[in-house]
Amino acid sequence: MANHSQLTLQDAASPIMEELVQFHDHAMMVALAICSLVLYLLTLVLSEKLSSSTVDAQAIELVWTILPAAVLIALALPSLRILYLMDEVNEPDLTLKAIGHQWYWSYEYTDFKDLTFDSYMTPTTDLPLGHFRLLEVDHRVIVPTESTVRVIVTADDVLHSWAVPSLGVKTDAIPGRLNQTSFLANRVGVFYGQCSEICGANHSFMPIVVESVPLANFESWSSLTSS
Amino acid sequence: QLIPLFVIIGSGGVGAGLYLMRLAMFNPDVSWDKKNNPEPWNKMSPSDQYKLYSVNMDYSRLKKDRPDF
Repeated sequence: MANHSQLTLQDAASPIMEELVQFHDHAMMVALAICSLVLYLLTLVLSEKLSSSTVDAQAIELVWTILPAAVLIALALPSLRILYLMDEVNEPDLTLKAIGHQWYWSYEYTDFKDLTFDSYMTPTTDLPLGHFRLLEVDHRVIVPTESTVRVIVTADDVLHSWAVPSLGVKTDAIPGRLNQTSFLANRVGVFYGQCSEICGANHSFMPIVVESVPLANFESWSSLTSS
Repeated sequence: QLIPLFVIIGSGGVGAGLYLMRLAMFNPDVSWDKKNNPEPWNKMSPSDQYKLYSVNMDYSRLKKDRPDF
């Protein structure tokens, strides 16, 4: 989950999110380089160490057209690669339905018999010591590690959005429409997210918690809960 | 002197045109022949690759284990 003083993205828990973090680092370096170059040139100009009396600017114009074009291509290629990677259909091992309501999520694991539950936020008055305020829920979404999970997101009433930043997932929940996304949790852990589309009074109070556990634990949990 | 300009703009235009042709011909969301092929999006098979670039996934090896539409 995010700390209050955090500047960077949350730790990645899925391969897609790792790619996104790497791309963010790459793009940040490009942006920092350009900004420092501009700042340096600005100081030169303001301290009158840079002047120009040329009338024929063909060479420098070629340079400052080709170089930004190259930078943009260096940004676009990794970006498009990740975009296409995120959209791949990759034979999920588990299908999970996430349905947004005002103001809670309900989850259906229809691969199993009758595994459905609602997930309400734990009110702050009932929060045990050491737990995260406005982020904990009563029933977490349990998924097995190292397994591709397909999530079908929809809503019952108004627009919501199912987002878990550590997994690199954000999908809008639209009434009357099924949106599909997928992720793979590559480590055990608890991953927090919050509803990401304004949906009324308690929009900030319907979080999402995904807990990834080893496959054996997942199987025992699913057989326990669905019976 | 303006040759690089023509080359770059020309290749961009040609590329855009080619991609538009690809979309018109191979995109399952477009329907040209309303009588014989009115809804081509119903005929998508799991072993076809529809996007231009596939990073990791070899779609030809996916099994088709669902009934036809």
